Amino acid sequence: MPLEVEYSKELEGWEEMYPPMYIFSKDRKEWEEKQFWFHDKIHAPEAMYPLDLIFQEAWQISLSQYTTRVFCIPPAQGIAQRMVGCYMYITPVAPPPPEIIGEKAGLFQKRVFYVFDHYDELWGLWLKKFKALGEEMNSIKVPEDFPKFEPDDTVFPEPRGYYTSYDVIDAWDRLVDLMIKGWQFHFQYLNLAYLAYLMFADTCRKLFPGIGESTIGKLVAGAWVQMFRPEEELCRLARLAAPIKEVAKIVKSDASPKAKIEALRKTAEGNDWLVEYEKSKDPWFFVSCGSGWFHYEGSWTTKLEIPFGYLKGYIERIERGEKVERDLPKIDKARAELAEEYRKLIKTDEDRKSFDDVYKAVRTIYKYAEDHLFWVEHWFHTIWFEKVREFGQLLVKNGMLKGVDDIYLFNRFEVPILIEDMVTTWALGVDVPSRSQYWQAKTEKRKKILEAAKKWTPIPALGTPPEEIAEPFTVMLWGITTDKVQDWLKGMAVVPKDVTELKGFASSAGIVEGKVRVVKLLEDITKIEQGDILVCPTTNPAWAPVFTKIKASITDIGGLTSHAAIVCREYGVPSVTGTGIATNVLKTGDIVKVDGNTGIVKILKRA
Amino acid sequence: MRLETRGNCLEAEKFLALNLQPPTSIDLHEGLVMPYALWFQKAGKEALNLVGGKNASLGELIRADIPVPPGFSVTTEAYQEFLIEGGIKENIEKILSPIGLQDVASLEEASQTIRELIRTTPLPKGIEEVICSNYQALSQVCEVTDIPVAVRSSATAEDLPGASFAGQQDTFLWVRGDKEVLAKIKSCMSSLFTARAISYRIKMGFPHEKVLISVGVQKIVDARAAGVMFTLDPLNGDPSKVVIEGNWGLGETVVSGQVNPDKFVVDKVTKEIQRTISQKWTECIFDPEKGMVCHLDIPHGRQEVQCIEDNEILELARYARRIEEYYRSPQDIEWAIDKDKPFPLNIFLVQSRPETVWSQQKKEPVLGKKSAYDLLMEKALQRIKIQS
Repeated sequence: MPLEVEYSKELEGWEEMYPPMYIFSKDRKEWEEKQFWFHDKIHAPEAMYPLDLIFQEAWQISLSQYTTRVFCIPPAQGIAQRMVGCYMYITPVAPPPPEIIGEKAGLFQKRVFYVFDHYDELWGLWLKKFKALGEEMNSIKVPEDFPKFEPDDTVFPEPRGYYTSYDVIDAWDRLVDLMIKGWQFHFQYLNLAYLAYLMFADTCRKLFPGIGESTIGKLVAGAWVQMFRPEEELCRLARLAAPIKEVAKIVKSDASPKAKIEALRKTAEGNDWLVEYEKSKDPWFFVSCGSGWFHYEGSWTTKLEIPFGYLKGYIERIERGEKVERDLPKIDKARAELAEEYRKLIKTDEDRKSFDDVYKAVRTIYKYAEDHLFWVEHWFHTIWFEKVREFGQLLVKNGMLKGVDDIYLFNRFEVPILIEDMVTTWALGVDVPSRSQYWQAKTEKRKKILEAAKKWTPIPALGTPPEEIAEPFTVMLWGITTDKVQDWLKGMAVVPKDVTELKGFASSAGIVEGKVRVVKLLEDITKIEQGDILVCPTTNPAWAPVFTKIKASITDIGGLTSHAAIVCREYGVPSVTGTGIATNVLKTGDIVKVDGNTGIVKILKRA
Repeated sequence: MRLETRGNCLEAEKFLALNLQPPTSIDLHEGLVMPYALWFQKAGKEALNLVGGKNASLGELIRADIPVPPGFSVTTEAYQEFLIEGGIKENIEKILSPIGLQDVASLEEASQTIRELIRTTPLPKGIEEVICSNYQALSQVCEVTDIPVAVRSSATAEDLPGASFAGQQDTFLWVRGDKEVLAKIKSCMSSLFTARAISYRIKMGFPHEKVLISVGVQKIVDARAAGVMFTLDPLNGDPSKVVIEGNWGLGETVVSGQVNPDKFVVDKVTKEIQRTISQKWTECIFDPEKGMVCHLDIPHGRQEVQCIEDNEILELARYARRIEEYYRSPQDIEWAIDKDKPFPLNIFLVQSRPETVWSQQKKEPVLGKKSAYDLLMEKALQRIKIQS
């Protein structure tokens, strides 16, 4: 039961890092104990930094409200979150009473069918709206420092009336406000896209009871997906650079990205290429090196050596006469042919008609699931992290914190207090102390707690298992089934060396044996050798170029429509995703057999 | 290049080269004298009355470019001629006419009497000659003296949809030489009069004299592995799968359910193979020392080894699809992999008949004529039960 969890002594004080409604409490005990809380390994696989919780806070509200109050999926309610020793747990809330379900059904019909009928134009409107939001966030000016005296132009001809203290407070407030708003948009069509996917999967299984999950994923996956654009832009830039010897030489050199850019500036060809580079960079390099959920992942814009590393590889491959681009028309044709082959196997014309209708519906709206990801989790979040970094720098400059990233140790409700302390101290004049020692002591304590939390293994689930689940994300994203619940209930802590077999989603077909390469951080991908089996927490577009090198991939997190699954299917590389524990259990050098048909990874030999 | 025509057709070409002329052409409409023997490729479904269901189906398979081991049918004409010329037709009718279903003892006695009568009555000389010359031609074509053959009955009311006589007649494996072949052909003919077959006909209301028998004489595949396959998943009716079951040795162990076979579910579209490898303890092979087909224990090291290679699985699945498309209905197929021939020439299909469970069901739309919106609403209202 939630209130009975025992924490180690080092974790003491973890509760104060998070907002009070995130903590299991006596006042809500009766309700909380009736729910089934499971560790959300997809969004919060690791101990949570307080400020990174903002995305979780935002999705709890937004995802839930679209299901309960906007598009009204009849028996489904929202997903509630709690923190347990720095790890996030979630629960799909039980269905509402029948009369509410009835009311919602009417609204669902009216609203959801409208969206399906108008999706293409609605997507255009969404993108316009969302880009404007990101631009707005990007335009927020975080003062570099506090002026000794406000400059003349803020006084003449008319005193501005508000000054740097307000600018700093306002900039933070707007930043947070925009992040919350962006996440309201995030779910605008996502619940519906998932629901459509589940409907299509059901339809396929009714027609072809033995159809593979990965085949369903393949049928739905789009070729022209915004999430792949960063990689496509790299190919484009490599193509431009390759034929120009001077440019290619500089881009391929071992110099730092900064030195490369400086060297390119010196020649006309180099400058021409840089113009194209800048075009690609915004927005397409605003891509996280991880999932986009954590500040420590970094992005291509903060780690330019990553896109430049890929560029080097691409140029070399182009020089060898290889093709680096994904053949999108071919990928799309293969999907269409796959669908046609199955369609032909349908026995009655009536079923064929239903199938066509369902397929069209899912193909229309599922694009949202693929496209929103780049814009929200990558582009928008990258802007956020850059802005937060500017605040971090300001706090460090003013002696409030020691490290720029220390700001992430305070939740979004605490940061304004820090900021207020800082601006007040400035406003009060010279030789006035702030509570910097208090903040820094808190920073140190919290760092220790998070360190301890990383070593602590959270139990998979708490509370009472549900009798039924109607919430589409729970089914689609976390894949909650009887089996999974059973697994969690067993609740055993995994002893990595005793594990001989891992189970996950059979995401891309094929069987191979080979040597494992565990890559926890993107920086380590340079270590991957041709023919390695990639083992990683999760992959995303920033990783795309490694898929041509590897023999198979195994991830901790991610279902059949996860990035690794999609890319592996395209490259014909076997993949098992969502094993939960692969990076814990496997070590670089282990020999494993990956079966992408069954989702089973066998450990053949330990390194 | 792929060798599409092999097995029978390839060997049929050799016939011409050898200037042999057993494959008599028939024209069923002109009321010519009916032949006593017919090569499989000459007799398809139009010759059902002459060669029986099983043999006619082999003819059809060959026409669909399926590799079928070569062979010929001894026709129902030969059977009828045998009954008349041998003077036993009336005898048989006399014995059968008073038999009722309740009288188990006299049923058994009648069966014994009739089968003995058939066994002891020699085949007319003309028929014997035709059979022997065809058998020798087959041996010559296969380049083996006294080629080992499977001798199987093929009744005219067998294997038709809704009339499952399957398994009611006999099969003899590894038959060699004129004398044995002739004897086994007669045994097959007599299998029309087992007590079970007689009582079945009475129960189903088929007149005894209307059910005729033909006998197939077919080169036996010295199988490394063999088994059955279905052009849909017999467990759930999934039309996108081919389900293959197989064991080491001849197919009898799989057909009769003596072992848990290896099972391969092949997706017709993606060609993905799901496999279940079973512990297979016994196989049915020809023992040259004993001169007969025996059951042998499979050594431990081979029991859990996949009995057919992946490329063989895919090739079988490809043929399964072709057969299903040819017949336009789900099929239940027997196959064998030759021990010595190289892939893909080692693959043979030895029988195909309509699948009886799922194909008998009415073709109701499983999606209930629903639109995407109907189905979306249905999905939105769905709850997933979690069992604790």
